[in-house]
Amino acid sequence: MRKTKAVTMTVALFTVLLLFAGCSNSDEKANGSSGKKTIEFMHLWPKGSSKTHYEIVNNIVKDYEKKHPDVKVDVQVLSNEQYKDKLKVLSTSNKLPDVGMTWAAGFMEPYVSGNKFAPLDDVINKNLKDQFVPGTAEAFAIDGKTYGMPLELNIATVFYNKAIFDKYGLKAPKTFDEFQHVVKTLKDNGVAPIALGNKDRWTGSLWYMYLADRIGGGDTMTNAINRSGSFEDPALVSAAKKVQDLVDMGAFEKGFNGLSDDEAKSMFMNGQAGMYLIGTWDLPNYTTNEDVPKEFRDSIDYFNFPTVDGKGDMNSFVGGPGVGLFVAQNSDVKEEAKDFAAFFVKEWGEKSVTDAGVIPATKIDAGSLDLPDMYVNVLNDLSKASNITLFADVQMSPDVAQVHLDMIQALFGKQVTPEKFAKEQEQALAKEK
Amino acid sequence: MNKVMSNKWIITLYVLPALLLIGVFIFVPLILTGYYGLMDWDGIGAMKFIGLENYINAIQDDKFWESALHSFLLAVFSTASLIIYLLISLILASKIKGADLLRKIYLIPMLLSSVAIAQLWIKVFNPTNGMLNSLLTAIGVDNPPSWLAEPSVVLYAIFIPILWQYAGFYILIYYAALKNIPETLVEAAKIDGATPLQIAFKIKLPLIMGVVKVTIVLAVVGSLKYFDLIYVMTGGGPNGASEVMASYMYKLAFTSNNFGYGSAIGFLLLIITLIVTFIVRKATATKEEIQY
Amino acid sequence: MKRAGYFLLYLCLAVVAVFQIFPVVWLFLFSLKDNQDIFSKSPFSLPTEFRWENYEKVWEGGIGTYFWNSIWITAVAIILTVLFASMATFVITRMQWKFSKLVLGLFMVGLMIPIHSSIIPLFSMFLHVNLIDNPWSIVITYTAYNLPITIMILLGFYYTLPSEIEEAAIMDGCSIHRLFFRIILPMTIPVMSTTVIINMIYNWNEFVFVNTFISSDQYKTLTVGIQNFIGQYMTDWGAIGATLVISVLPILLAFLFFSNKVVEGISSSAVKG
Repeated sequence: MRKTKAVTMTVALFTVLLLFAGCSNSDEKANGSSGKKTIEFMHLWPKGSSKTHYEIVNNIVKDYEKKHPDVKVDVQVLSNEQYKDKLKVLSTSNKLPDVGMTWAAGFMEPYVSGNKFAPLDDVINKNLKDQFVPGTAEAFAIDGKTYGMPLELNIATVFYNKAIFDKYGLKAPKTFDEFQHVVKTLKDNGVAPIALGNKDRWTGSLWYMYLADRIGGGDTMTNAINRSGSFEDPALVSAAKKVQDLVDMGAFEKGFNGLSDDEAKSMFMNGQAGMYLIGTWDLPNYTTNEDVPKEFRDSIDYFNFPTVDGKGDMNSFVGGPGVGLFVAQNSDVKEEAKDFAAFFVKEWGEKSVTDAGVIPATKIDAGSLDLPDMYVNVLNDLSKASNITLFADVQMSPDVAQVHLDMIQALFGKQVTPEKFAKEQEQALAKEK
Repeated sequence: MNKVMSNKWIITLYVLPALLLIGVFIFVPLILTGYYGLMDWDGIGAMKFIGLENYINAIQDDKFWESALHSFLLAVFSTASLIIYLLISLILASKIKGADLLRKIYLIPMLLSSVAIAQLWIKVFNPTNGMLNSLLTAIGVDNPPSWLAEPSVVLYAIFIPILWQYAGFYILIYYAALKNIPETLVEAAKIDGATPLQIAFKIKLPLIMGVVKVTIVLAVVGSLKYFDLIYVMTGGGPNGASEVMASYMYKLAFTSNNFGYGSAIGFLLLIITLIVTFIVRKATATKEEIQY
Repeated sequence: MKRAGYFLLYLCLAVVAVFQIFPVVWLFLFSLKDNQDIFSKSPFSLPTEFRWENYEKVWEGGIGTYFWNSIWITAVAIILTVLFASMATFVITRMQWKFSKLVLGLFMVGLMIPIHSSIIPLFSMFLHVNLIDNPWSIVITYTAYNLPITIMILLGFYYTLPSEIEEAAIMDGCSIHRLFFRIILPMTIPVMSTTVIINMIYNWNEFVFVNTFISSDQYKTLTVGIQNFIGQYMTDWGAIGATLVISVLPILLAFLFFSNKVVEGISSSAVKG
């Protein structure tokens, strides 16, 4: 008798606690019945770290709500890593936001095959036909259907410090021999030739990818990943050898495998390193960012990755679209969500380049905008680009990407031979398909 | 007396809130983890039952065993450093001047979040302008290692901030235990002419052995599932040289989209921890008390 | 000889003290720098320019709400944890029943689960009871996940309580509730304070659960506020430093308060009981 009393009491206590908790938020969703449709939108540009991005998003949302009084956009912001984790957790419970951000290719693949993302071809054809830079929307396509609308386009280029180069009488190298000469000169004069934060691993992957591109041409890597080729292709192995040659020369700063990209970046930005290979998302730091001393910004320029042993096309780039917008397949406001996403992409294209220094994935008329020289040059390069190879870790499935990234770190750290480096990745790729 | 102290309804009432909470919020997820481990599941699409395949793969996975070894090493170091914490606590709890202030200072690092501690130690370990290497260069070491980049040292380098972070935690517990000892016992020993050292080791230490055993379990369990600083400072790298079981599990589940396999690793982590804890408890149990 | 020994002892203690206090100094300097200063200069160099605006930036980011959420969530979870843990430890250690060992074992197993493997199950559970994006999901999770360690710490102390206390109390006709709340709990103030400090640190700095279960800004806590400054391509470390300084202050004060409670003599409260 008494025992039952105890059990009932405790259970009651918990029920009260849960109810109490449950009630306070259950009314919020009910607001939808007042005639307004709510689109949940999740992005990864928090106010603290990406103020301009954050504000552009808010403005676009406001504009959209003004034009569509019956729609409310509920915005949620997370930082990068947290965004990825949360997206995952949400999708296990089928609770993806109506509109959110995704990365291309490999990242997106499980969401598409799990039927979580809605195909967007209809809305692209309707609202955004021929607006994307060729190759960007394609990176978000699987089996002929497009599941994401890209927002940005980045290519990786080698930024270099002209002040340092001038001091030692160096010029932007056009061939790998010249490049090695630059490395050697800087090294001999006690300047770290290249800042590399290889704790993050994709940073080292950029170097490897460029070498692979120059030695084997733009398709070798892509073919190895899509299995029409092999990772044990001689070009891919000899690119790995070249990486280790650079390591042996002392081209990268001390301890690069334990440093983050942030740390490497500040080395470069403090004039402690001569060169830094990074995506064009960094352009504001070298052009418009008022927090960076003007003197430094003026001394920075970039060059395209040099040819190697007379091979390679300097107009071939490593890069690709960054994030794109997806619409959730199970969204209960799917049409509105698609419409909002398309609106967002369009507006973003116009606002992001001038306000945030982003190179959008939609076509822009560079001539009509007042942009810093370096932007104009990058946009020119982009228009001349013969090929853009998508970042390897984005092309690969998340599982294989981890193998690739670990192998990159091992290669740079000389824990594996170039042959083993290629073999491990070949095996990982072969296992998958 | 005995009747009062075995009143079933009181026992139920007192233990049920805690039991319900851990039952629902810890054991249910735990069972589900074991269950997910039986699935081929990327965490996004549909699940496919594959039986014990994930578990069999895990047992043959060199990377898993390497990470397990690293976790074991951490457990060994954590347990060994308990001796230092115990010594410090014994000193602080004896009536030396300024003990109170010193104790508070000693506990400060434990207040900081892992984000702060990680940033601090990343700076300490910076290969060119970090505090450690600046110091080593100053005393004439020619080419000090790049602590977080060299596979052979990274694991031990990263243990230092972990042990340092937890020092306050154990000192706090030991200190409270030492203060719990009745004054009269210590006074009596003093009158019998015991030296401070004798009081510390012959009287105080045996009296808090129960607490010491608890801390050994906490150190072992805490180490085997440790994640925070390692993930922030090295991400398990370079190339797995500082990977531990929890970071390996996290990567598989969240980064590699291998949620089924990651869950299996998580469940194995639990089983390994259970076994190790059982051994530790057996090893530290004395005749008179098998419990704590 | 003896004096030299003491001198040496104090020297060692002082060195350790410096080692322990320097993170706070460092953190403060860190919070006044920008990324360049932080990464390229020695950690103890003065900032090239004192950037108090880091603090401004952080306040503008709406940290006030986060601050309040951190405080009440931490406090409520601590009260629930320490109360429930004390109750459970009391019956496990002091009362006679068949399953006490088994229950203790369950709590010990509860220590061992790595939190990342429980996030996804917990999320879907909270979703079913409509507790997602509700701060109570955080309070409940914190309470549940801190119970095992709190019980473990209390355990050793409860075993050392002399059994004469209950005997005397029961003889006097004192009920168990009275015995527990009026005698046992006050006697365990030192160890309870220890567990309060530990719980406080865990809850205050916890981040994974908040990030997963909470999506509205109004319910987020300080640790998530810190993440606000970590960008996709760039991280504002100075602002993170400022958030860290702001977030360590309340916990430092609370720590000093409870840390005094740890020393409060056991005998004095026992007499009162």
